[in-house]
Amino acid sequence: MSQQRRLRLWSLIVESAHGRSVTIDDVGAAVLSTGGIDAAAIAVTLPAVPRETMYTSGSLADALEDLTMTIGEGPSAEAIADGPSMIADLDDPQCLARWPVFAPAVIGHGVRAVFALPLRVGAIRLGVMDLYRRERGALEGELLADVLVLTDLACALLLGTVRDDRKGRDGLPERIVLQHPEVHQATGMVTVQLGVSAAVALARLRAYAYATDRTLRDVAGDVVARVLRFDPDEGTDAG
Amino acid sequence: MTKVNDVAETQLADVFVELSDTLVDDFDVIDFLHGLTKRCVELLSVSAAGLLLTDGRGTLQMVAASSEQTRLLELFQLQTEQGPCLDCFHTGTAVSVPDLQRAGRWPRFTAAATETGFAAVHALPMRLRTDIIGALNLFDTAPGALAPDKQRIGRAMADVATIGLLQQRAIRDRTALTQELQNTLHSRILIEQAKGVLAERLHIGMEDAFTALLTGARNRNQPLAVLAANIVSGSDETTPLR
Repeated sequence: MSQQRRLRLWSLIVESAHGRSVTIDDVGAAVLSTGGIDAAAIAVTLPAVPRETMYTSGSLADALEDLTMTIGEGPSAEAIADGPSMIADLDDPQCLARWPVFAPAVIGHGVRAVFALPLRVGAIRLGVMDLYRRERGALEGELLADVLVLTDLACALLLGTVRDDRKGRDGLPERIVLQHPEVHQATGMVTVQLGVSAAVALARLRAYAYATDRTLRDVAGDVVARVLRFDPDEGTDAG
Repeated sequence: MTKVNDVAETQLADVFVELSDTLVDDFDVIDFLHGLTKRCVELLSVSAAGLLLTDGRGTLQMVAASSEQTRLLELFQLQTEQGPCLDCFHTGTAVSVPDLQRAGRWPRFTAAATETGFAAVHALPMRLRTDIIGALNLFDTAPGALAPDKQRIGRAMADVATIGLLQQRAIRDRTALTQELQNTLHSRILIEQAKGVLAERLHIGMEDAFTALLTGARNRNQPLAVLAANIVSGSDETTPLR
């Protein structure tokens, strides 16, 4: 019954908050506690960058979000434009053909199934909720029904952060934070190093991360720490 | 929310179902909060319940009560000036008064409450993130403390009311809020990128780059995100920023 379902889900969220007010993190915690999901992430779509991660459940979700951002393909990247993308078995030859880079990389993290659900607010595309599972198999029945209720709530809670009176030093709402500012700082630094636009600089960072089999965050961290520079005179990026 | 007993849980289910209706466009938040206060009376076996919410300027306004009884309403109104509810709102902690007469605080409020027939009052804060947005008030005609299981249910009800308000606000202005969320993230990204540009150009750290950006925006009387965008696009190459 949907009554029972909602009671259970709302209870999970409020429980996760431990007396604090609920946040997007508590929705994520509720997603995980439904069982059957091993990692979850929530990202918002933006004009300037492919996506900005707002929540990850842990290191596995962190790594997979970084991967999606770095290579720019996969169910999540498609869900933002095309609607839900439900991949029950990443090992399927069709999947491997569709995402030749993404699918093997995700399997390499021990994940067999990926479900990307768009977050929609009316006609507006707000972002995407990514769910990862170590076991292959479809997201269906009870679990799917739970997850759909939770995507609605994720939207409401993300929008709830906007109306916060507290402002940071930059005059913007304090609660809306970037999880990995170093990626954007490094992008700015590379625009100067290479004399290119921010979009190109980010693409170069992503390409370098992919080519060296590192995460975008790590590479960005090295740029910010001035361990890594991009040199316009060389065909390849100098380390 | 902590675990509640079985009987209460069944009734609480209805509250959550009502709450889920907040996702619907024509959700009436005042109706919802009135229903919630009535439910508090049933679930917690108290005589009356009411909700006071801040109006955004730090003043409390009564938004819902379990009964339309005039005296009761006056009592809630009075609470906006003095009483356990106001103290609860200001301190952000639950204020429980098992015996108003004995407590000897809030003389005007106590006189009015006694006249209305109430002996005990419990006020629970409504938290929205770190902010206190209001308080849930429970009145009882018999003196006595609120049992621990009822305290838990009361706290859950205060949380439920808060989530309902949050949802309602999000639905009401969803287009504007979505754009604002995306604009804010976009501005933050531009600011981080601009910090990177300045750090590289001026050979300074990110913290100094941020200070330079703040100073530049202030001196030019320009919004930070606009200056950041100009720096990133290369249309503003003045360094150091003055």
